Amino acid sequence: MNPLSDPQLQHTFTGVFRLVAPEIALVGTACVVFLFGSAFNRRWIWFTVSLLGVIAAMVLAGTVRTPMPEVLTAAPIVPDAAANFLRWVALISAAVLLFLTWPEATRGHAAEYYGSLLVAVAGVSLTGRANDLVSLFLALELISIPTYILLYLPSRSRPSQEAAAKYFLLSVLSSAVLLFGFSYLYGLTGSTNLSVITDALTKANAEALSPMALVGIVLVVAGIGFKITAVPFHFYAPDVYEGGPAGVVAMLAVLPKVAGFAALARLLGLVGADARHLPFDTATQLPLLLWILAILTMTVGNVLALLQDNVRRMLAYSGVAHGGYMLMGVVVACSLPEAAGTVIKLEGAPKVIGPTVGGIDALLVYLVAYALMTFGAFAVILYLSTPAREVGAIDDLAGLGKTHPISAGAMTVFLLSLIGLPLTAGFAGKLLLFIGTFTAPADTAAMRNLYRLLAVVAAVNSAVGAYYYLRVVGVMYLRTALTPIVGSRAVPTLMASVALAGATVFFGIYPQPLLTAARRAAPVPELPVPAVADAK
Amino acid sequence: MSDPITLALVAMSLPLVACVLATVLALRKGPAAKFAHVPLVLACGTAAVLGIVVLTKVAAADSQNHRFISDPMTWFAAGHLKVSFQIVVDPISAVMLAMVTFISTWIALFASGYMHGEKGYARFFAVMSLFVFSMCGLILANNFLLLVAFWEGVGVCSYLLVGYYFEKPSAAAAARKAFLVTRLGDVGFILGIFLLWKMGGWNTSLTALFDYLTKTPPDHYELTAACLLLFCGAVGKSAQFPLYVWLPDAMEGPTPVSALIHAATMVTAGVYLLARCAPLFAMCPEAQITVAWVGGITAILAAFIGLAQHDLKRVLAYSTVSQLGYMFMALGTGGAISPVFAVTAAMFHLFTHAFFKALLFLSAGSVMHAMGGVIDMRRFGGLRKLLPVTHLTFLCGAASLAALPLFSGFWSKDMVLESLEFAAEGEKYTGGYFVLLLVGLVTAFMTAFYTFRAYLLTFWGPERIPEEAGHHAHESPARMTVPLMVLAVGAVAVGIAIEPFNHKFSHFLNDAPTLQQAFAASKAPEPPPHKFNWTLAGVGTAASLFGLSLALVMYRNGTEKLPALVEPVFAASRNKLYVDEIYGAAFVKPGGVLAFLSAAFDGFLDAVARLISAVPRVLGWWVRPVQNGLVQFYALSMALGLTVLLSFVAFRIAR
Repeated sequence: MNPLSDPQLQHTFTGVFRLVAPEIALVGTACVVFLFGSAFNRRWIWFTVSLLGVIAAMVLAGTVRTPMPEVLTAAPIVPDAAANFLRWVALISAAVLLFLTWPEATRGHAAEYYGSLLVAVAGVSLTGRANDLVSLFLALELISIPTYILLYLPSRSRPSQEAAAKYFLLSVLSSAVLLFGFSYLYGLTGSTNLSVITDALTKANAEALSPMALVGIVLVVAGIGFKITAVPFHFYAPDVYEGGPAGVVAMLAVLPKVAGFAALARLLGLVGADARHLPFDTATQLPLLLWILAILTMTVGNVLALLQDNVRRMLAYSGVAHGGYMLMGVVVACSLPEAAGTVIKLEGAPKVIGPTVGGIDALLVYLVAYALMTFGAFAVILYLSTPAREVGAIDDLAGLGKTHPISAGAMTVFLLSLIGLPLTAGFAGKLLLFIGTFTAPADTAAMRNLYRLLAVVAAVNSAVGAYYYLRVVGVMYLRTALTPIVGSRAVPTLMASVALAGATVFFGIYPQPLLTAARRAAPVPELPVPAVADAK
Repeated sequence: MSDPITLALVAMSLPLVACVLATVLALRKGPAAKFAHVPLVLACGTAAVLGIVVLTKVAAADSQNHRFISDPMTWFAAGHLKVSFQIVVDPISAVMLAMVTFISTWIALFASGYMHGEKGYARFFAVMSLFVFSMCGLILANNFLLLVAFWEGVGVCSYLLVGYYFEKPSAAAAARKAFLVTRLGDVGFILGIFLLWKMGGWNTSLTALFDYLTKTPPDHYELTAACLLLFCGAVGKSAQFPLYVWLPDAMEGPTPVSALIHAATMVTAGVYLLARCAPLFAMCPEAQITVAWVGGITAILAAFIGLAQHDLKRVLAYSTVSQLGYMFMALGTGGAISPVFAVTAAMFHLFTHAFFKALLFLSAGSVMHAMGGVIDMRRFGGLRKLLPVTHLTFLCGAASLAALPLFSGFWSKDMVLESLEFAAEGEKYTGGYFVLLLVGLVTAFMTAFYTFRAYLLTFWGPERIPEEAGHHAHESPARMTVPLMVLAVGAVAVGIAIEPFNHKFSHFLNDAPTLQQAFAASKAPEPPPHKFNWTLAGVGTAASLFGLSLALVMYRNGTEKLPALVEPVFAASRNKLYVDEIYGAAFVKPGGVLAFLSAAFDGFLDAVARLISAVPRVLGWWVRPVQNGLVQFYALSMALGLTVLLSFVAFRIAR
């Protein structure tokens, strides 16, 4: 029978539109904004239209039922729990960014600014649900291309143009590497569908290691490494963060990272798959590679952040370091096939207590926390910057505690959260990642005690990080400014930073809703009761 | 809406609302700050009414179910550790809730007069609201970690309140001392909680933990250790020997704070904790006799120190420590006798003590108000004409504290002594409990003596007024005297109204499920039907009257002239039995040496740390040139990085 006349298959293909309705709404709104933007370029019109577009997307995301496609091996889009979690992260980020970037989307290019923003957000959301190399690549480019425009749009200064050019060139390079890796995966399995690829590689790996698959996935990791600012693919970050417009940098620091980790988790088969059968488990050495990448990334990021005198560069390197922390979650998730679990006997039947943290759930929580604090920090910088005086050097923030108590307070919350102090969202995220790494099944042939070592290195790194974050807090409160900052008086940006600070504290005090959502998106795999269940 | 849980939650959150309102007023700094007391008084008043409604509802509940537990709301969970926000309303917590909010209402009203015109008026009421809120939370919490959160909240608020006059060095030092000394006990408390968590099937919920532990009895020694660790927390918070030293110093705070901390809240938290954990303590007689002995030592020691203090508030502070010792003595008998009776005796004494001690402190505050802030009894005297209302109310409180017959304190103290007497006739540690009974009687004598010494020195003899009071020393305004009168009625009558004839109080507490659980776990004999023990009451009354008459003989002139014979005794008492000096020599001095050594070692470590911390910087300087801003170099690095990754994989696989 002709496979194309299979009704289930047809249904799978036609059902795709339903699954991406919110993304269609976002891109549609963006089209309207682009189209009429040249006619009436008023900021408030396009702000309102974009906000309505985001709200419409949220309504669609909340109401449209998304059944799982019948033929998973043919479906380009999967609406699983992780995808929905990421979609909500993307949509809420969009709403925050609309408010946050208010002073930058000035008259003359407001429409292009908001339009590009919406497209990029649609790309993030799509990355979360792509189940096909083609749709995944499309989604990732959907983030990159608007970013080029955004970087170039607002200010026409030389550093900004340099930043845009650098980002463009290196991003294209990384996309090429990514595509090269994809071509290996396709060549090996004969399919672009991720479900097919994962299954085929898992089966192949069970028999013998496939070196070509590893080469392919290493290329993919390198390509995605650019998006998650893994060392040595991070070089663009400090230069671009320093030269680019603050609002765009806020977006650039968060959205590609969310998308990158989502793509990485999908490609490594860590989302939704059976945790005991992964295409790349610890036997393949890939987790070891990611382990090295994680340590390298967090250490280089932290060490270089120590030396920075510029807030934005400091935040860029700290973003690199946080990318390293988040890679811990991926490493832990790769280890789960080895998890044995301990049997405890309470009243009644013996119960297996597996690892308490699955890795990906910790990663998702950390992504949200990271988004909150990074958006927040850049929101404060943006609020304080004026075209006449950009906030750059850390010393520019001197005396902020006196002149702008609200901004200084919010900034302090974000910095404390970046350190990972208790009662902030950053602490909840870091705690989960550390617990996950510390309780990861330790004694395997490839990894031995390396997980514990990773946790220790990460802890040392966090301690180093405290130094440069606290330095900023000290400058804000203990020093007085020679020429106090005026600030842009952009109320929406201030609102955004206050709301983000509130959310950071809220999730620090009561992280349970976030944990529950992340757990639902990426459940910790259930372990079977081992055959030889020890009674005591 | 009207179930006890909702009412209790509302009663608990009202002070929080008051705190927010008062904070807003404190920040606005306008004339509005003058009304900062209004939210607290209203909130406490409403909460007290709700508390009494809760009390009646719990009493009226059908006989099987006197406990209401709210639906748990997960606060946080990680692995086995699950902490939920859950409150419990049972007879014990209902009594405490009603009592705390009721007393707080009057103290708040009194404070609005007492603190009038002080700097930071609104700040005072904001913190005091938070204090009441924390205390209500502590009472209602049905989860150990939630309880700790509120327990620490109470600690922080007391730090802020004792250090209210933070510009005064002695006040700042007292606040620090109060906080740090209680922290010492808290360390044990938290260790105990985690030990229980581990033993109790990974439960942190109080009720679930008790159910689990009474059903599957754990290792006896482990449980004893856990109980003693919990008791450490109570020793710190309730100022028992050897950690009682912070409480007298805490008198540096404004007087309403002393009343709040020493009567209704904070110090009773330790007693309450042990009452709540009665099922655990009932299973360990060793822990119980320790509790009783600590209580006994504290009672007699504090009473002795109280004999010769010149500072009126300090006399009252030591009497508080001593009375808390009584409560712990009673609690410590649980197990040897029915825990139901032991806890009832302790809670009853706590209840009456709250009334008369709040009254005494507020009266002392009223005296202080009139005397321009002077509280040294050597500098004033004969104030009964000048302050008629204060005089009478203080007399009521003093009579109750001295346990003169028919006053509230008499009935509760009698019950405490009775529990000790039962325990002395029991099976285990009978000799110990008998000695403790004697300790209780001697303490009763000393209590009566120092209470009336303070009363006579303050209100009798020739009228003396210090110059700080100026020429306008006068009785306090109505919003201060009305709370005094209300509390005086309580100090006189609340005891006789609820216990000796109708046994309302003991019947009510008798229904508490945890107490029944404790009774079942303790293997104690069924208590004999309650009869008034005339012999014991007679001996107790004789001790009190002896103390009273001795005070009358010695201080009838309202001045202190000591016969040479007792001078050394009084010197020892006045110098607090040199306990502070002993602590100084035993802990603080060696501590200083240790601190010096530590500092030297720290300097060494610091140097090492500096050396280590230089490493990232050196590393950074070394790596930094790589970030040279050339895009072609960046691309090259990426390509090289990719090559390294690929060759790594190739190498590992080939091996």
